[in-house]
Amino acid sequence: MAPRWKGRTAEAKALADPISKIVSDLQSSLLQSEAHASLSGSSALLPVEPQHAEILTRACFGRPIITADKVNQWFQLSLEEAFYLSHHLGCLKITHHQGTTCSIAELWQYMKSKIANFPHYYKAYSHLRTKNWVVRPGSQYGVDFVAYRHHPSLVHSEYAVIVLSEGGSSSDDGVDGRLMVWSDLYCTIRLCGSVAKTLLVLTVNKNGHGTVSPTTLDGYSVEERSIRRWSAEQNREDQVAAANGTK
Amino acid sequence: MEGLEWEDASGELSDEEIYLEDDDDNEDLLNLSGHSKKLQFRRDASKAIWNEDMGMAEVIEKKGKMWITVGIVRGGKTYCSIEETIFLAEVGALHLMDTNNVQFSLQRMYEKISEEKNGCGWELFEVYRHLKSLGYIVGRHGVPWTMKGLKGENNSSASQTNLDNNHNAVEGGSKDVCSITELLGSLQIGGMKPVFDVYLPNSKFRKYSPGQPNFLLCLIRDNMPPSRVKIEALESLCDGIPVKCCHVEHGRVSFFTMKKAELPVLP
Repeated sequence: MAPRWKGRTAEAKALADPISKIVSDLQSSLLQSEAHASLSGSSALLPVEPQHAEILTRACFGRPIITADKVNQWFQLSLEEAFYLSHHLGCLKITHHQGTTCSIAELWQYMKSKIANFPHYYKAYSHLRTKNWVVRPGSQYGVDFVAYRHHPSLVHSEYAVIVLSEGGSSSDDGVDGRLMVWSDLYCTIRLCGSVAKTLLVLTVNKNGHGTVSPTTLDGYSVEERSIRRWSAEQNREDQVAAANGTK
Repeated sequence: MEGLEWEDASGELSDEEIYLEDDDDNEDLLNLSGHSKKLQFRRDASKAIWNEDMGMAEVIEKKGKMWITVGIVRGGKTYCSIEETIFLAEVGALHLMDTNNVQFSLQRMYEKISEEKNGCGWELFEVYRHLKSLGYIVGRHGVPWTMKGLKGENNSSASQTNLDNNHNAVEGGSKDVCSITELLGSLQIGGMKPVFDVYLPNSKFRKYSPGQPNFLLCLIRDNMPPSRVKIEALESLCDGIPVKCCHVEHGRVSFFTMKKAELPVLP
């Protein structure tokens, strides 16, 4: 499926404004303003000064919280986003509700306590983000993430992402529970199709690692597979596409 | 950037849903009434005799042009697999006889396929029928359409030897019977292996030069969708030819492609 750009100028705008540059500008901006986010439940709440709010939105991190606060604009980050900004980009400090900064190890433990299999979801999230895809929560579509080629105002998301795991030393393979029965696969693909997205399964392979820490997360690997329905009725004429295996 | 209204106040993304025409309910209605396919029942039926040792039917009388894309040729004779046989019998294009010249009823044929002895059970037959009805050309993976005039890359003297060997094998009918039974039997019903070679509808198809299939087909009989490991193992058996997986449930045949994605690194 080709990317569905919103409007005729969208693709050009995206090309002129690469995500990698936007994210790098965000990194500088947050560092410069010494941004701090505080953990609250399964989110991290981040106040930013208005001049820094725009870059956060352009990079598609977090969701704005509409408040009457005139000094700060508030954003709510998911744990994956918070950890990515904090650990991978190193531009965000994260604090407990008491105000003390968390170490990376503390943060990791906290997030694992909130989300079972956080390491897998984070690995999948950072795998796509480091390739400069925009990754947003996918719960609206019954999947883990949705991936956009650029900002959602310019393009529809192409992929609906489900994260699976394998290769663990313990017996928790596939414990995430998705796509374990046919009806789930049929359901998920049908839903993806109705919103014009391709199902992308990211299998995170633990490669024998048991408990992993942020620094050893590199030992995990991610394999991408797209799963599509193929219609025998519709593809009889399409010799070239079928021969290329693209349909 | 102006107008970055990509989430409204309640945080809902405005990605629209595309409501595709829901013709699936209509299809169900058609299935119930049995009018979903326009079958053309033939008036002149071909005739074949079931060979229990081979697990195939030997064609005695051919009527119609479907034999261009159905049946394998050995020693100048045409044999069809159980799925081909039942498919033709269902549409009235083939009368199947046993060795006592008694015609097989459809019931008896359905019983035969439920034995699952010849590499094909009911679900695989449904897949075969689905594709054939749409005009695809379907053969058993690993079973050549014909042994005669196989185009090889050998030099002329070697190929002459091969032809001689083939000729001998073909004339010595029993040798061929054994090899076919082996081939059919080795198509285990379980496990993920390619079972069919599928070609797009093609009036120029010839058994002596079929070319590469458009895709290979694997029927998944597990109770769950295949894991990454199983898909990779299947792909390694396919020599680079695209493979599709299919799953059959309640008479519905669904096909999936499960390819490596490798999303590009974006700018």
